[in-house]
Amino acid sequence: MVFKMKKSWSLLLLGVVLVFALSACGSNDSNGASKDGKVTLTLWNAWSGDTSDTRLYNERVKKFNDSHPDITIKTETTDSDNYRTKLKTRAAGKQLPDIFQVWPGSELEPIVKGGAMAPIDSLTDDLKGKLINENTLKDFAVDGKQYAIPTSVSYTNLVFYDKDMIKKVGYDQFPTTYSDFKTLIKKLKAEGITPIELGNKPQWPLQSIYVSMIADRITGSDYLPKVLAGKAKFTDPGFVKALNVVKELNDMQAFNKDVNTINDDQAMDNFVQGKSAIFISGSWSTTGLLDKKSKDKHIGTARMPAFEGGKGDPTKVSGVGAVGLGINSNLSGAKKKAALEFLKYFYSKDLYEDLLKAGLLIPAKVDLPKDTDPLFKEAYQATEGGTAPVYDGVLPAELTQTLNNGLQGILTGSMTPEKLAKEMQSQVNQ
Amino acid sequence: MKIDTKAKWGIVLGLGPALLIYIGFAIVPIIISFYYSFMKWDGFSPMQYVGLDNFKELFKDQLFWHSLKNNVYVILASVIGQLSLALLFALLLNRKLKGAKFFRTIGFMPVVLSSVVVSLTWSLIYNSEDGLLNELLRAVGLQSWTQNWLGNEHLAMISVCVTIIWQFIGLYMIIFLAALQNIPREILEAAEIDGATEWSKTWKIILPMMKDTITAALVLAISGSLKTFDQIYVMTSGGPNHATDVSALYMYNKTFQSLQFGYGSAISVFIFIFGLVLILVLNKLIGKSAV
Repeated sequence: MVFKMKKSWSLLLLGVVLVFALSACGSNDSNGASKDGKVTLTLWNAWSGDTSDTRLYNERVKKFNDSHPDITIKTETTDSDNYRTKLKTRAAGKQLPDIFQVWPGSELEPIVKGGAMAPIDSLTDDLKGKLINENTLKDFAVDGKQYAIPTSVSYTNLVFYDKDMIKKVGYDQFPTTYSDFKTLIKKLKAEGITPIELGNKPQWPLQSIYVSMIADRITGSDYLPKVLAGKAKFTDPGFVKALNVVKELNDMQAFNKDVNTINDDQAMDNFVQGKSAIFISGSWSTTGLLDKKSKDKHIGTARMPAFEGGKGDPTKVSGVGAVGLGINSNLSGAKKKAALEFLKYFYSKDLYEDLLKAGLLIPAKVDLPKDTDPLFKEAYQATEGGTAPVYDGVLPAELTQTLNNGLQGILTGSMTPEKLAKEMQSQVNQ
Repeated sequence: MKIDTKAKWGIVLGLGPALLIYIGFAIVPIIISFYYSFMKWDGFSPMQYVGLDNFKELFKDQLFWHSLKNNVYVILASVIGQLSLALLFALLLNRKLKGAKFFRTIGFMPVVLSSVVVSLTWSLIYNSEDGLLNELLRAVGLQSWTQNWLGNEHLAMISVCVTIIWQFIGLYMIIFLAALQNIPREILEAAEIDGATEWSKTWKIILPMMKDTITAALVLAISGSLKTFDQIYVMTSGGPNHATDVSALYMYNKTFQSLQFGYGSAISVFIFIFGLVLILVLNKLIGKSAV
């Protein structure tokens, strides 16, 4: 009897747990079908994580829904690494929603060429050159037509450094030349401080952050398009030298030892905790750094130092427009009108002002607020010189993969810069 | 045996839904995969028929063979590491051991945990700067043994295999325990009366009686190893520099990162055939087909 009781109790418990789990993940979908003139649009985005920018984007959507009773925007959020895969897969299956977030350059192109997106030139003609920087707008154009508008610029190379640590080894300012930068690394090492924190498990950081910038400093910004057009080669001395810089930094043991087993976020945490003096990352890290650093930690932001004899403009920072929203080419009538109305509302001066206040670097002409944190102010100043191309934004996906893996090989010593350059060039030739 | 019509319909009704789902989500995709493998397709533009080109390229693709080699390591680790250890533990726990129930639960625990949780935990353990493993080695004065477990190309594969072994020992242990408990007491008692030692009892009675279960476990371990993906994806993403790439991961990267859907399908088809051949050979070797 006692046994029986026990059994029925546990069955009941099991039942409760299952019902709970089912109800927790159940959702009430509707397909956006219009009843009584109302339009429902689905918006896919990668605004995951509770950061100031994602909060602002979601707020903006909510405000739109509140002020437009006849249109409802339903958002579906996925974290950014998985979002890109999801977007590619669903685009292949022609299952894209009404509005979706896209990345520029080589990620946008196949989706546009596959006929999945409608141009939005009617919207951007009003904004071009007035609110939004023309140059950044181009990142989201394919064959002269505009497909999305960036909310921010993702700069892929900003040098964050601990002001107190480098002061300790005699530097009041971050070095502006590579040779001086190497001296700083040696001095930090002599003090027993890990010079640079890097998390390269996901493989893109060393390429997108480091190589994009280092190569641009050495070869100049017109080099990469030339290579893809067949007018220059990856085996040219400039690019090989850029890869050799990575090797040199690695040989100097400038990086943390677990470089291949942690990711960019973990590296940021380690840097904030004072485990290392320098953290080179992108503008996406500014909001995180501002959130996480303690009050007595003084973080400075600088540009990547210039390389002696380099052809690139040392005031440029590699960067590309980010968080563009595009619309599905199968929209028509009331739905298309609603989608365009939403985009017009979304990309307003208010949003850009709020974003800038929240610590994002934006492509719009808005003044910097007065009470800005020095970290962000310096980042803002560092990026005033314009943008240089980002490698994974320009290279075809396969070439990016080769470069990503090869760079890991350079770190572990199983690949040489010369061999990697040759491999990349042979892929271009194919 | 004759089944009357009514019962037949009952069987169809019962199996129907499961069969439909299985056909829809397993059989049909496999067939579609075969079709894609003859195409060149980036997922967006129209497909282009290329015949056997994908397979020709596959046979020349050194990175693919490298990933397949790593997969063979995982198979060996699973068969040798998981099965033999699981069998050992099962034999131990089948004896009148104090706290056997407790150990059984502990052993089965990793199976219940999600792969991502297991892999994240192990990557913290393996971390070269402040991971548990290196800290432990330092604490007992073995600084020279500390390693960059996942970051070193020569060690990464071994480290990953250890995690995979750890995760699934419990599963096979439970399967073996169930088989052990099904061995009739009378036979063992008769052997004891005849004066058989523990050793000969284990080798001559228990193991032969478990043969079918062991074969089934072998098939499970091999097919499971061919599908290995999640642990490696979380711990190293196939790195450093392809050191821990396995074929499923390579296929994923080719398909979804490099956008070569046709080539990726060709890899899937190859893995499918490879697994099938491996298990057929295994069944031939063991003799009687158990699965």
